[in-house]
Amino acid sequence: MPIYNSPVFAIASDETKRYAGLQKADFNQQLIDEACLEAQLLIQPKGIWHIYDYEADRQLLHASDTSSLVLQGDSIGRHLRDCCKVIVMAATVGEAIEDQVTKCFEEGRYSFSVLLDAAATTAVEQVADAMEKTIQNEVKRQGFAMKWRFSPGYGDWPIQQQPDILRLARGADIGISLTESLMLMPRKSITAVIGLYYPAVNPDCRLPGTASGTDRPFEKKHNCRLCDKLDCPARRE
Amino acid sequence: MIKIFDGAMGTMFQQLGLLQPGTCPEMLCLTNPDEVTGVHQRYVDAGANIIETFTFGASALKLEHYGLQDKVEEINTAAVRAAKAVKTADGQPIKVAGGMGPSGRFVKPLGDLDFEEAYRNYFQQAGALEAAGADYILIETFIDIQEMRAALLAAKDATSLPVICQLSYSEDGRTVTGTDPQTAAITLDAMGADIIGINCSLGPEQLVPIVKAISENTAKPISVQPNAGMPQLIDGKTVFPMSPADFGTWAPKLVQAGATYVGGCCGTTPEHIAAIKSALQGVEPPKFAPLRRRLMLTSRSKTVTVDKELPTVLIGERINPTGRKKLAAEIKDGSFASVKREALDQVKAGARLLDVNMGVGGIDQAAAMKRAVTEIAQLTDAPLAIDTSDAAALEAGLRAYPGRALINSVSAEVERLEKFIPLAKKYGAAILCLPLTDEGIPKTAPERLAVMDKIISTAKAAGLKDGDFLLDGLVMTVAADADACNHTLETLRLYREKYGYPATMGLSNISFGLPNRPLINSTFFTMCLAAGLDAPIMNPYDESMQNALMASMALLGKDPNGRDFSRNEKNLAVPKKAAVAKHVELTPLEALKAAVIEGEADEIGTLVENAVNAGLEPNEITEKALTAAMNEIGVDFGAGRVFLPQVLLSAEAMRSAFIKLKEKFPAASESTKGTVVLATVKGDVHDLGKNIVGALLENSGFNLIDLGKDVPAEDIVAAARDNKAAIVGLCALMTTTMTEIDEVIRQLKEQNITAKVMVGGAALTPEYAEEAGADYYASDGVVALNIANEIIESK
Repeated sequence: MPIYNSPVFAIASDETKRYAGLQKADFNQQLIDEACLEAQLLIQPKGIWHIYDYEADRQLLHASDTSSLVLQGDSIGRHLRDCCKVIVMAATVGEAIEDQVTKCFEEGRYSFSVLLDAAATTAVEQVADAMEKTIQNEVKRQGFAMKWRFSPGYGDWPIQQQPDILRLARGADIGISLTESLMLMPRKSITAVIGLYYPAVNPDCRLPGTASGTDRPFEKKHNCRLCDKLDCPARRE
Repeated sequence: MIKIFDGAMGTMFQQLGLLQPGTCPEMLCLTNPDEVTGVHQRYVDAGANIIETFTFGASALKLEHYGLQDKVEEINTAAVRAAKAVKTADGQPIKVAGGMGPSGRFVKPLGDLDFEEAYRNYFQQAGALEAAGADYILIETFIDIQEMRAALLAAKDATSLPVICQLSYSEDGRTVTGTDPQTAAITLDAMGADIIGINCSLGPEQLVPIVKAISENTAKPISVQPNAGMPQLIDGKTVFPMSPADFGTWAPKLVQAGATYVGGCCGTTPEHIAAIKSALQGVEPPKFAPLRRRLMLTSRSKTVTVDKELPTVLIGERINPTGRKKLAAEIKDGSFASVKREALDQVKAGARLLDVNMGVGGIDQAAAMKRAVTEIAQLTDAPLAIDTSDAAALEAGLRAYPGRALINSVSAEVERLEKFIPLAKKYGAAILCLPLTDEGIPKTAPERLAVMDKIISTAKAAGLKDGDFLLDGLVMTVAADADACNHTLETLRLYREKYGYPATMGLSNISFGLPNRPLINSTFFTMCLAAGLDAPIMNPYDESMQNALMASMALLGKDPNGRDFSRNEKNLAVPKKAAVAKHVELTPLEALKAAVIEGEADEIGTLVENAVNAGLEPNEITEKALTAAMNEIGVDFGAGRVFLPQVLLSAEAMRSAFIKLKEKFPAASESTKGTVVLATVKGDVHDLGKNIVGALLENSGFNLIDLGKDVPAEDIVAAARDNKAAIVGLCALMTTTMTEIDEVIRQLKEQNITAKVMVGGAALTPEYAEEAGADYYASDGVVALNIANEIIESK
């Protein structure tokens, strides 16, 4: 499976507000809604993923077609501690939205430009969330549970592994590239790995899949509590 | 009569040790046909009436993974043969369903698989299954309605067998790609699926409500094949934990919900099937009241019902280049930006269906329609009406659309009847019927009804049914025919009396040639709504029409007791206060300052003018109103009372104020605070943060030289030197680029440039800034502005 370009019927205005640093602000809702709508017209959502075997004790990701990759750092190692497979994914909302952010700023629509940028961030997260949902359906029937998305640069996972991660996701197939300084282009793009593990079975569980069961919903969101950027304006309370 | 399907095959072969990792499972049909028959036999012995061939992955797209794409016919033939070889208790041949599983890719634009490639894939496999003697085609475990549509069309085109369509649903009750069971049932029923169902992904408990939702929306038989519960890992193996006995207890509940074909999917065994068999002994399917077929249209993820008993459904007419030169030119140039905007804006304005017309001269209409339909379907879940007179464009649109569309329109003209109705049938579309013949437009209501009779009877003869029709009342110009309105109203009444189908029309023709058209249109609209108009095709931005609709809904009982009407702000007695009024009490300077703080850029021009007219000097206006406002905002920002976008709104207001001041006092000196050279360093392409700093500085009286992003150190140094900059601002967002800041500072020092250096950006820290030799670290734009002011003041 592979390429999934999720449709985006609406960009979440509450998330846009959060990324614009307006969590606690009473701000013109109409302007936020306009930015979400404008962004929706400009985004070109694309996503791709591939699944690889993973050896947790060596932090080794097995790529059959290319060389294998050791994921560096303690944080990624800890994050994938119980995992035996890893999904490497990439998602983007394209270049056009970025150009419009720049254009708006040049025209003196500073605030709208910032909101549009936040809406684009929201959109790329939504695209990745939709991909995760699709992936979840795929892996769940094999009995796997999913960890939350973890990206190069989180914790002590060096950003220098970005080229490998992008290659393993085959991000080039959806138009994502890297600058020399390892920035993703288009800028509103993400790469991430998702660890797959077998959830422990609770013998008291009456029926799997029910509220009392072990089949917990996957941990979807990046966990702000684990991030050391305390002054991040988008940090969740 | 309830039929029993078989259970899982893969699980059984795994137990027999026949499946090797990395090999194609379906090859067993060729290499081990007797073992395949053996597993089928166990299911037949357990009580299955219909068994499914072991061909889930035996389509070319799947076999390609193993280099076996040339073996489609061979494997499918062997698989049917292996199934047919079972022995039944009564000696009658067993019914065999030829199974087809998904390709593993998504159809464009969701994925990279072309619809036609998917169609060819299933056309080939379905043909092979029928040729080998299958009794049904069973399309199963699909999660993408568009791939299902491709497979169903292919199976219908390639074979004459009944087709079973089974989607897989997630726990939220939708397929992964967003289709709910109601929408699936309506879409697939209309396209001619013979049995509609569900398999895999969930256990029987979770499938009961889904079966129920399907049965409420189709009269076709329903099949269900649940997994044996949700998978778990036990002793290192994936296990489906539900016991045959538990599984069996769910079978009558599935039947009660509406299923008449029951079997199993992942993790089910012959014992599970035997349990179903015994649990269903003597169980009769419930008798449901006959379904009243209503007009239901679908997108990929939503159903919209048009019915006389439901609130009026607005059909947005704006995606139509007729008479709109700019839109026509855009479509001709291949730009769909305005088409997309119209789609979203109309939905926002209340349209629940969107009419799509690509009638531009000199273009490939079929290609344009396909593109429009594809783009709009990715943007909104409002179902579409495909509005064209070109059969090729119609088919292109219907094929590409992942739902049940409306065809606009089918008249009694011979060509339309002959070409459009079969397309409606094939693609499961509904038709908008226009009482128009090759001879022209019938004038009176009885004449229109007679034409409508002809269209409807022709369509029904071709297989269309109640629920497939939307009748057009036809609107002529009252300026040309005094009875035009009366004819239309009478036509609507006759339609409703005879057919009870919903009615539509475009309205604005009525007022052609008259003054004050909005009044005529909205009055006519209310009359039509009372006479039986259910789905007007109109401009949803038209406020007088929207008002007429809102009032009519209250009057006609579709907004019971005018509840929504009473809640709507438009109808409330107290109008909102005019925005400008609040500054009336203030002095010109106070008003200006307040407007900057509140970020009201629109009012600024007037307020600056007021200040100038009051005899104030530009520097007084700048200092006492504008700068004072920014200082106040800076303090509020620092205290966490206002946030960045609000600061930027104020900056925009400042910008407007400065533009106005320059206009009023062209001679007044340019910014005097000092020059700032600003850049995002080499290698770094993020510049929004840097731009924010620039905007705040520039609109606070600094002379800003913004070098942009990815700027080499040499250029920054040269700009600082040549412009005698007081401040150099450097921005880097990434750990990979922030070392470039060190380099810029080194070169500035080397050249003895005395400008103060201020740095910032996501990856930077105060510690890093200090080590790099920067004079200041700015954590955000407002701090940067404060630092810049400090630097200048301390000079």
